[in-house]
Amino acid sequence: MSDPSETPRERTVPASPPSRGLIRDLLLAAAGGLAVLILGLLAVSLGWIDGRRERTSPSADAARPVAYFQPPPPSAIPDGPDGDAIRRGEALFMNTPANAAAFTGNSLSCVNCHLDGGRRANASPMWSAWGLYPMFRAKNGRINTMEDRIMGCFTFSMNAQASSSGGPPPAGHDVYRDLQAYMHFLATAAPSGVEMPGGGYPKVAQPAQGFDPVRGARVFAANCALCHGEDGQGRVNANGQPVFPPLWGPQSYNWGAGMARINTAAAFIKTNMPLGQTGRLSDQEAWDVAAFINSHERPKDPRQTGSVEDNARRNHTGGKTYYGQVVNGRLLGGGVR
Amino acid sequence: MEKISGGEAVFAAACSTCHQPNGVGVRGAVPPLNDPAFMEPAVLTAVILRGVEGPIRVGRETFDGAMPGFAGQLTDQDIANVASYVRRTWGGADAGVDPGAVARARAQAAGAGPWRGGRDLTRVSPALLPQPAWSGPAPLPVDGAVLALINEGRGEALACSSCHGPQGQGGDPIPRLAGLPADYIAAQLDAFAAGRRRNDQMSGVARALGPTERRALADYYSRLAAPSTATPSLDGDRALGERLALRGDWSRDIPACFACHGPSGFGGGPRLPALAAQHPGYTAAQLSAWASGQRTGDPGGLMGEVAGRLSEQDRRAIADYLAGLPSSPATVPRNRR
Repeated sequence: MSDPSETPRERTVPASPPSRGLIRDLLLAAAGGLAVLILGLLAVSLGWIDGRRERTSPSADAARPVAYFQPPPPSAIPDGPDGDAIRRGEALFMNTPANAAAFTGNSLSCVNCHLDGGRRANASPMWSAWGLYPMFRAKNGRINTMEDRIMGCFTFSMNAQASSSGGPPPAGHDVYRDLQAYMHFLATAAPSGVEMPGGGYPKVAQPAQGFDPVRGARVFAANCALCHGEDGQGRVNANGQPVFPPLWGPQSYNWGAGMARINTAAAFIKTNMPLGQTGRLSDQEAWDVAAFINSHERPKDPRQTGSVEDNARRNHTGGKTYYGQVVNGRLLGGGVR
Repeated sequence: MEKISGGEAVFAAACSTCHQPNGVGVRGAVPPLNDPAFMEPAVLTAVILRGVEGPIRVGRETFDGAMPGFAGQLTDQDIANVASYVRRTWGGADAGVDPGAVARARAQAAGAGPWRGGRDLTRVSPALLPQPAWSGPAPLPVDGAVLALINEGRGEALACSSCHGPQGQGGDPIPRLAGLPADYIAAQLDAFAAGRRRNDQMSGVARALGPTERRALADYYSRLAAPSTATPSLDGDRALGERLALRGDWSRDIPACFACHGPSGFGGGPRLPALAAQHPGYTAAQLSAWASGQRTGDPGGLMGEVAGRLSEQDRRAIADYLAGLPSSPATVPRNRR
């Protein structure tokens, strides 16, 4: 999962002068936006939409660029060995537990956090991430290649410690080759080495009231439980096929994942949840519900060798987290299996 | 039945949401398509025509779910094409499957329900052994008073079966009820009774029923499995419907239908009904009602917002696509975690 807090990003200004394609996209987006605006005004005036849906905070709107990079469509995947690798990478991305069975310890797939197959702007799209690596990451204090970065996803977000192999794919594994082939395809003609509009999850400043899991529990019940379940364990269909991902507990991301931090989860939630209702939650609600979700126990941080307190000092000082803190009388971070 | 061209296209349209585009299935839920014993033409044909419910051993793993039969959705040629595609792509076979053999198997299968687990299938090929036994669900106790309401009615409470059919299969534009979640059906009856959902006939029926009766009827219909009787009839663009159902259109902020209503439209939770095999006139009318605000009461207003982003062409496309799917096979939602 992407980690916006590590690399502060300014997302309001396109990083390069608009190209002809970008101008076309801007015009199309402006026209589309106008239509949506008219429909929206009509809907409100006719009482179709109650006021609650109109609470998008002005700051979030202002921070949203009007046009984003467009990755190539699936139909543009070429034939031949290149295309085969891209398709294998896409399959890994969409259905990680079945396609990287030995290296995933939970039911999550890449696409759970990188929406629309890694194409969706502001859901940490792959077309943006691709050109930023190699990159120095404070998380491990060294230059990370894209392979290193994906290894981190397996280690933390896919909780590889609970997989049959006990860890992420080893360096040089075909899983990395194929996933990178897919990312490289999505980033076709994207700039390299610059922050692109729509990359990462747009940061949401901590609101005046801070964050509170008790308030967050109410936000969760009203906005999230329909899909993720009252108990946050997601839902599977009658065959056991995942429909909605679990948000805590043994089948979710572990304590080392970026998403386990309240600021990162709030950023993801604010722009992307509920699915299809961008902007429904206020900044305050996004922070509160992120705090609620991340105040539950989840698989242990695989970097922990000594005590939770010790690991909290070594690895959990970078963001807002309940790791190593006592919530409701319980020390969080011990892990669940 | 509408003929779909080549085996790959049939697979993408009919098989890939469960077995996945690369045939690997879903870990712990949907079998992979690489077990040689299942790649025999007679076995493949038998499974595709009738479906399977109950435990089945594939490779070294046992799966306990349900696959619908496609006898009503696919022609002999379609089945021959997709079985040939599966054999050649993942079964290592050169020889295809002959449509004539499919026609003979279809004649034999006429009227038969799904195969009862892997053990039943060994009658087609002993090479499938060993297979787990099928014990079947416990027979459901059905209250005579509930059956009387369904078949005879009582005053204002018209007999349910007079419109929704003896098996709850519906008949356009009357909706199919069989296999919808009990919570969802009960909530609709309550809404009709309270005037929150508007339909003259159903309001009268629901008001004439007591709360306990409404719940009992909801439980009854949720456990019914009935083959599809829906037929695409709105001249919708089914390829467009398939795209919107499987991938959505994020350029218009439209999430995939199946992102919430579950893979293959088999339902996504107690308040997220199955869509597969629903009658197209009903589906399209409901999408219009959501979009216009005539139908409300969806948690958070999500369905109203998403429906409002669909064009009239989109609605017909989606409704016709869903009408062409086999019905949800398993009627009692399970949550295994």
